[in-house]
Amino acid sequence: MEPAKDPADATQAATKPAPLPTEAPFDLTDPEHIALGKKRFNAYCAAYCHGNEGSGGKTPAFKGRTDMTQAMLFKVITEGRVGSDVMPSWHAFTEEKRWELVAYIMDLGRQPANK
Amino acid sequence: MQKHKVKQTLKIVSAAVALGLTMQGAAYAGSGPGYEDPNNWPQFHRTYNAWHFSPLSQITKANVKKLKVAWIHQPGNITMGQQSFPIVIDGVLYYISANNNVWAVDAATGKTIWHYETKLDPVANEVFYKAASRGVTVGRGKVFVGTLDGRFLALDQKTGKEVWSTQLTDMKKEFGALFSAPPQLAGNVLFGGTTGGDQPIIGKIFAVDADTGKRVWTMEIPKNDPKSWPSEKARSEGGGTAWWPGTYDPTTDTIYIGTSNAAPDYYPDERKGDNLYTATLLALNPKDGSIKWHRQEVPHDAWDYDSVYETLLIPINGKDTIVHLNKNGFVYVMDKDNGKLQNVWQYTENQNFTSGIDPKTGEIHNPNYPEVGKQKLFCPNLLGTRSWNPGAYNPNTKLWYSTGMEVCNTVTGAKQEKVETINGLALGLSEITLVDPPGKKGDGWLGAFDPATGKVKWKIRFDLPPISAVLTTETGLVFMGDFRGSVHAYDGDNGKELWNFNTGSGIRGGIVSYAVNGKQYIVVPSGLGSHVPGFLSGKFPEIKTLPGGSSIIAFTLE
Repeated sequence: MEPAKDPADATQAATKPAPLPTEAPFDLTDPEHIALGKKRFNAYCAAYCHGNEGSGGKTPAFKGRTDMTQAMLFKVITEGRVGSDVMPSWHAFTEEKRWELVAYIMDLGRQPANK
Repeated sequence: MQKHKVKQTLKIVSAAVALGLTMQGAAYAGSGPGYEDPNNWPQFHRTYNAWHFSPLSQITKANVKKLKVAWIHQPGNITMGQQSFPIVIDGVLYYISANNNVWAVDAATGKTIWHYETKLDPVANEVFYKAASRGVTVGRGKVFVGTLDGRFLALDQKTGKEVWSTQLTDMKKEFGALFSAPPQLAGNVLFGGTTGGDQPIIGKIFAVDADTGKRVWTMEIPKNDPKSWPSEKARSEGGGTAWWPGTYDPTTDTIYIGTSNAAPDYYPDERKGDNLYTATLLALNPKDGSIKWHRQEVPHDAWDYDSVYETLLIPINGKDTIVHLNKNGFVYVMDKDNGKLQNVWQYTENQNFTSGIDPKTGEIHNPNYPEVGKQKLFCPNLLGTRSWNPGAYNPNTKLWYSTGMEVCNTVTGAKQEKVETINGLALGLSEITLVDPPGKKGDGWLGAFDPATGKVKWKIRFDLPPISAVLTTETGLVFMGDFRGSVHAYDGDNGKELWNFNTGSGIRGGIVSYAVNGKQYIVVPSGLGSHVPGFLSGKFPEIKTLPGGSSIIAFTLE
């Protein structure tokens, strides 16, 4: 017997989203974009989750991180993540606002890790 | 039906006592409130007085060290850990795991009887409080669930098949207003509120007919009164949800349910007024949701100090009296019939949001409000003096056992801008950092209190603040779990540790006890979860290394 096809597969194929961008449309070291990202991070990401300057969460602290790439950060912010903990997706922010968050988090990565 | 069974059981017990018979197996001695239906854990706190007390006495201080694992049930989904408070009725244990997976399990063997996987609207993946599931309610032949896509849902108790489902919130318009805690029964009325308190919405308490799912009443928590809210805009974004289960006192036909902080949390400037009925304990008429009385514990809250925790009914001076912990670190002792204050005592060791609270009027003296653009220290922090994990009251020791967290936060207030996304919160801040209390190292504790006065009988320190519920039993045992996953049994008289067992992941949910086939069991939900561990890891980095998980572990004597 032919296995039943999941109708969700067909829908997914028909509406497959465009691949996510892997490079920011602006210079991620630009202080203005970093500042905008910081403001949004503090309003949406810090309390209850990532903490001040990304010190919290189940993810390693952001300061001093050298393993974070812009493409990876943009993807996680856009899609969220589910493991033993959860992060909701933030695709409702415009791409520009998501890249501003990337700019701020990568700026934290360039700062020395907290002792 | 349940009541009839309770009466029958009590009659049998009375007859046995009258005949001088010795009760065998998982025996118990007491009677009256807190002792009903001794073999079961039929509702969230076991009994309506929210004691988290089991009258069973087979497991004692002398033999507790012989506790061994009887069975383990693993649901297989570990997202946000295992936060549930199991219900046990007549040898069947009902619990919930991540994403509203509901389980009925043989309470003697751990074998699955049925499993219901709730089909959730995809919007449930987008919200701030996704995945977290904290329990079910069982009664009237059904298992009731508050869902992560804003519904109340009823399943057949025997088969797990869906009986009815009622959509109560508009998730997209109401910033992901969903149910993470189980709605509760008040007769044939099923009631409950949505999670949070920090979203820019009008928080509501919903009530439906438990047999049909038909809506009965809805109460808007932000009161429609210009004296409480300066504008309709402020009220309509005022938050005030009732996110933790209320209790139903059948002796007075009263629902007790607490409400959350007002929103935006740390930016109260545009919501001048007392902001009723946020941060309030409500006594409601279950028939129509009308307010019998209310006690607002934190008027014009500006620190995220919800009033949602358990409503204890404890005999004080010969009368059942409400003992109610607020997130602000104070316990409010009040008349259960009118909310009149009898005392307010300080529970937390560190607080600086007030110079003191008047024990007669509840007035918060010299409130230390947040300010826009200025960093200020506030104790307790926004997670509260304790999280939602309830304490336990023992009628023999007359002590209330409950956990605490001694951690503060700095906050820089900010004008609240329009919340842009469904998963955004209205916190009114531009900076928040968890910090030690001044001059001390942040930590947590389990304490034994006189519930009327706050006098401390004993305290045990924990370097990571415990976030599990507490269970106490007829034999004076106190069970609780820690962040690293060990469940501990203490002597309730002096706090001496008598037994522990490492379950492998942190303990967040409700430890319960029941008896089946003459054997007493202790059941421990294991699995670190909720937003608390993630946020606390900014202060306690070790938490980042602690594993998640989800299992229900039953212990019994060899």
